[in-house]
Formats: sequence, C-alpha cells, structure tokens
Amino acid sequence: MGDNSQPVPVLVCADLRRTFGDRVAVDGVGFHIERGETYGLLGPNGAGKTTSISIIAGLLERDAGSVSVSGQPVTTTTVEAKRAVGLVPQELAIYPDLTAAENLMFFGKLYGIGSNALAQRVDEVLEIVGLIDRRDDRTDEYSGGMKRRLNIGIGLLHSPELLILDEPTVGVDPQSRNAILTSVERLGADGMAVLYTTHYMEEAERLCDRVGIIDEGRIVAEGTRRELVALVGERDRVELAASGDLAAAATALRGLAGVDDATPGDGSIQVVVESASARLAEMLAAAVAAGATVTGVDIYEPDLEAVFLHLTGKALRD
Amino acid sequence: MRKVFAIGKTSVVRLMRDRLNLFFVFVLPTMLIVVIGVVFGSGITPRLGILSVGDGEFEMEIVEELMAVDVFETTLLTDRGEVVQAVERGELELGVVIPEAFDGTIAAGVAAEIEYLARPSGSGFEVQAIVQGIIDDQAARIRAGRFLVEEGLAPDLAAALAVVDAASVGVAEVEVELDSTSPMATVGAFDLGAAQNLVLFMFVTSLAASAALILSRKLGVSKRMLSTPTSATTVVAGETLGRFLVALTQGLFIAVVAALAFGVDWGYLPAALAVIVAFAAVGTGAAMLIGSTFSNDEQAGGIGTFLGLGLGALGGCMVPLEIFSPTMRQVAHVTPHAWALDAFSELIREDAGFGDILNELAVLVGFATVLILLAAWRFRRSITA
Ligand SMILES: Nc1ncnc2c1ncn2[C@@H]1O[C@H](COP(=O)(O)OP(=O)(O)OP(=O)(O)O)[C@@H](O)[C@H]1O
Ligand SMILES: [Mg+2]
Repeated sequence: MGDNSQPVPVLVCADLRRTFGDRVAVDGVGFHIERGETYGLLGPNGAGKTTSISIIAGLLERDAGSVSVSGQPVTTTTVEAKRAVGLVPQELAIYPDLTAAENLMFFGKLYGIGSNALAQRVDEVLEIVGLIDRRDDRTDEYSGGMKRRLNIGIGLLHSPELLILDEPTVGVDPQSRNAILTSVERLGADGMAVLYTTHYMEEAERLCDRVGIIDEGRIVAEGTRRELVALVGERDRVELAASGDLAAAATALRGLAGVDDATPGDGSIQVVVESASARLAEMLAAAVAAGATVTGVDIYEPDLEAVFLHLTGKALRD
Repeated sequence: MRKVFAIGKTSVVRLMRDRLNLFFVFVLPTMLIVVIGVVFGSGITPRLGILSVGDGEFEMEIVEELMAVDVFETTLLTDRGEVVQAVERGELELGVVIPEAFDGTIAAGVAAEIEYLARPSGSGFEVQAIVQGIIDDQAARIRAGRFLVEEGLAPDLAAALAVVDAASVGVAEVEVELDSTSPMATVGAFDLGAAQNLVLFMFVTSLAASAALILSRKLGVSKRMLSTPTSATTVVAGETLGRFLVALTQGLFIAVVAALAFGVDWGYLPAALAVIVAFAAVGTGAAMLIGSTFSNDEQAGGIGTFLGLGLGALGGCMVPLEIFSPTMRQVAHVTPHAWALDAFSELIREDAGFGDILNELAVLVGFATVLILLAAWRFRRSITA
C-alpha cells in the first residue's frame, strides 16, 4: 500500500530530453508542482521552455524522461490523463472565423464538459477573461490582447488541476497584461497548480511560488525567489551618480570591507556591496575623499535578473 | 462520438461561413457538371462517321449494323482526310475507318484492323465502346466460320458462315435476348458517362478538404485539440465527417441534376446512394491523408488536383474501363474509382440490386477505413514528432 498521507504532486516530470537534429533543445529538465502552487520556468528565447511544456502536455515525443500528472503517466498517445491539464499555447490557437462563445463551446466539448454545464461555464470563463461583452463577435475582429485572453480562457474551461501557460503576456498591452497576471494569481490562490513560462523576470517574481531558471535546455537553479537570490549572496547593487575623479573613487571603494566590486562608468560608479544601507555613509566618505563629487545614490536589491546574470553570465533579455 | 460530431459540425459551420469556399465546393463543380452533362447527356446525339470504300459482304454488314444503332447519328464518308478533319473540328465524336480490301483481308484469313479516330476530350470513347461491341460480334462469327474451314468441316468461309448461322439458331434465341438488352447496353454507355463524371468530381472536390486540415494545423487548433482528452483518430474522424457530409451533399446534388436534367437512370436508388456514400468517405479519407502529410495548403491543392485527375483517368472516369486492355483494367482497380464505376455499371446496365454490388461496396469501405486510419496516424505524427 502506498503512503496516503503524502499527497501526490500534480505534476512530476523527470529527466526530459529532446533533440531536433543536432540541436539539444531540452537536456534533462525535471521538476514537480504541488496543488495550489505556481511554478515559473524563467529563461531567455530558445531556452527550451516551449519544448519542455509540449512534452509535459503530451504534444511532443521525447527522447527520454517521464511525465505524470496527478499520478497518471502522460505520453503523446495518452487521452484520459489529459483531462487534468489545461494548456494555453504560446501561439494563439483559436478559430478566427468563430465567435468567442463558439470557440469555447467547441473546446469545452473536447474537454468532455456536459452540454448543460457547458453553456454556463462558457459565460463564467468569458467573465473571468473579461470578454463577456464580445461573446458573439468573431475573434478575427478582436485586438491582440483580447485574442490572448480568449486563448487563456480555453485552457481554463474545464477547471484543470494543472494549468500550463506558455508566455501568455507576450505582445500584450500593459492593461491586458495586468488583467492576465491578476487572473493567474487568483487561480493559484484558488488551488490550481500553475506552470508558467516567461522571460519576464517581474512576472516570475510576482506570480510564482517557485521558479526554475532554464537556459540552454537545462534548469540551472530552482527555488523560491528568496532562495534563488541567496545564490547571488546578500549583495546589493549601488549606483553612485558622481563627477570628478571616478577612477580614483572606484579604487578607494574597492578597498572598503564588504565591497565586492566597484566599476567607474560614464557619470556614475557601480558598486556591488554586502548590505548597502549599513555601509552607505562609509562609501560616500571614501568616494569624496578620493576626489569625486556624489550627486545621487540608488540602491538595488538583488533580483532574478541578477541571479540569471550570476548563473549564466548572460542577460535574460537580449 | 460526441466529439466526432462536435469537430464535424465545426468544420461544416466554418466552411459555410466562407463564401469563396462555398463557391469552390458547390457552385463550380455544379457548373462544370452541367456543362459536361450537356456534352455527355442524352440531350445531344453523338455523331459517328464511317469511312467505307469497299462493298464486300462483311464490310456492308458492319456498316448496316452501325447505321441501325439509333443512339448515334451515323454518316458514311469515302475520304480519310474528310474523316480526320470532321473529328478534329468536333463535327464527329468518332470516326471509324474500315481499311481498304476489308473483305479480301478477312477472306485471306488475316485479321483486319479497324481504326478509330476521336478527340481525347470528347465522348468518342463511349461511342467506340459500342462500335467495338458490334465489330467483336462479327469477329466472333468469322472466327467460328474459319474454325470450320480449317477443320475441313466446310469448303469455304461463306459455306462455313452459313453453317455457323444455321447452328446458332438455338443460340440465336439467346442472342435475341442479348439483342433485346443491347439497346440498354448502348444507352448505358452514356449513362455511365454521368457516373464517370460523378466519381471524378466527387473525388476532386473531396480532396479540397485537405486544405482545411492543413489550415487547422497551421492555426495551432489541431495541436490544441490533441492537448484535450481527444485522440488523433477522433480528431481525424471528426474532420472527415464534416467534409464527408459536404462531399456527400455535392455527390447527391450532381446525381439529382443528372437524373432530372439529363434523364440519367441510376438504377436501384438505395444501392446507388450507398455507392455515393461510400465513395464520399473514400474521397474525404484521402483528403485527410493529404492534409496530415503536407504542411503547405497550396502544395496540397496541387497534389490533390493531380491525384484527382490522375486517379480519375486511371480508374476509368475519362475513358470507359471496357476499352482498357485486361492488364490495364486490373491496374485500374488499384483506384477506388474503378470499383465505384463497376458498381454503378452493374446498377445502371444490369439492373443490379444491393447484393450484386456488395463486393464493390466492401472494397470502397475498406479504402475509406484504411485512409482514415493512416491519416490519423500521420496527423498525430505531424504534430508530435
Ligand atoms: N520543431 C523544431 N524543430 C527544430 N528545432 C526546434 C523545434 N522546436 C524548437 N526547436 C529548437 O529548440 C530550442 C528550444 O526551443 P523552445 O521553443 O523550446 O524555446 P523557448 O524557451 O520556448 O523560447 P521562446 O522564449 O522564444 O519561446 C531552440 O533552439 C529551437 O530553435
Ligand atoms: Mg516558447
């Protein structure tokens, strides 16, 4: 008998691998998502996010690895286990010549929602994604943001245990984007497990309980925001707006305890320091003594962008 | 099953919303069938020209018999150039050239070659099928006579033929029966023209459905369907169903127009209907296979047209199967067209019922099933590979 006190994670995937010709798109990706948890896959273009997600959703053959959703294995020939998954693909996948309601009714039937429940559920979803007013308009008359919202709505229809969203905010205006993020937050709070891919650091920080940082097909780090940031250490980045002898000031700053690095730039000095607030007075004094005039100070706490930079030596966005 | 219907219904609804698509699926083929129907249909009597320069007994016999066939209008000509020109100008559907010294050649015990002239696009082949039948009858009689001469049972061919004719009095009764069905057979050659066109057009326009599947794949909705608890076979069956209904409607429409406007008799109706249903399933199944194999809809359109016309020609839609050589006739039966035409031919010419065309129907249903299963497999591979 299995151990019933331990709930089965909604998604477990392990050691996923996939190559296209010589190119290794996914190289040993694995993670798990618990009920009510929002997990982010954060990585730049071409990192392997869509490939991983396609394997997880049973839409792409894999070279190796395993996927199970609520304990049921998923492959490309799986049918029933897919009931537990709602996929929102990166590319729009809606019929342009049908209305929003018709699109939802159609996919609702494919998800196996009974006719009586379906009509009501379609309106609920249109309400959630804010398209109830445009219910009976053909989707080729929609704005980009509205199409994206409908694209998400289809994945929500059957209230899946696992909702997979692949970069749902790409090419969306700030207002729609905020609406999308808010509804994802709400779904997570309602207990849905969410797998969210993005290359926007802010989205991952805002939405995700845990984040996997993916690059070149590998998850290079995983954890809560706090855990990931700790990888960089308790370091802040301080930008001193200054004039005068910046090179001398930078050298002086580097001599201070707790300062990892100081780089003179054009009208400013970038300093990487352990707990900036505690050492700020000391730093200003040293800079002034070295012949610089400081006109402003900005302190940046470490973020996932910094983590990505630290781990891969690359910026998240090119 | 509910999912199959949902997919089929959506495919029909989307088709109906697209005016241009409607035009290509319904209006254009109807217009073509009407135009071709005018040419093939009983509205016009096909014209036959016979080049006959001799006055031998056998030659006269052929000429007389051909003149007696009233489904076409026959003219006697004496100059080969005249025949060629008339055929080229479309004044004659078929020219029959009886070689000089026809009787002499036969008397010498050598086979005499009769030459047929027809334009590839006309209904000459149908006419030829009838002419050939008459000439074959005569050839059989002569062969029998020769046999008697060779075996020393008759002094010469004329005497032998007299014996053959006398001996076949008993057979002649059967022949009378055959003769009584032969007007049917001749009319049937033209009725089959309508069946040939029906089969050809249903297949060609069914193949247009391949573009719809390719577009669904391009739109990403096919992939999305596979992300729901729906198997590839269900998706393909649903897409097939939608287009099948369209192809079926079109096929029925053509059949009704042919019957009402051109007096085409389809034989036992429920059986004819079954052939149309089965053939529509084959056409749409083929479309699904193309639609899940190619990723460019224009490319698929080209391949579809090429296949539609090519298989149509091979399957006997342009030239009747009867005038194919036996080997070619066998080859023709790799196409579903030949099987459908066999079924129609039995229904139209031989007044057959359901029981007589069960083989043909089974083959057509087999074609459809295999095509749809292959398409489902290709479809899933096209998305998940
Ligand atoms: N069907 C395919 N054929 C060939 N190569 C592919 C295919 N799909 C993906 N790739 C390659 O695999 C790698 C990972 O692609 P993937 O789409 O998974 O990246 P991604 O992280 O989703 O990127 P993006 O943020 O741009 O969507 C890329 O190098 C891509 O070129
Ligand atoms: Mg992607």
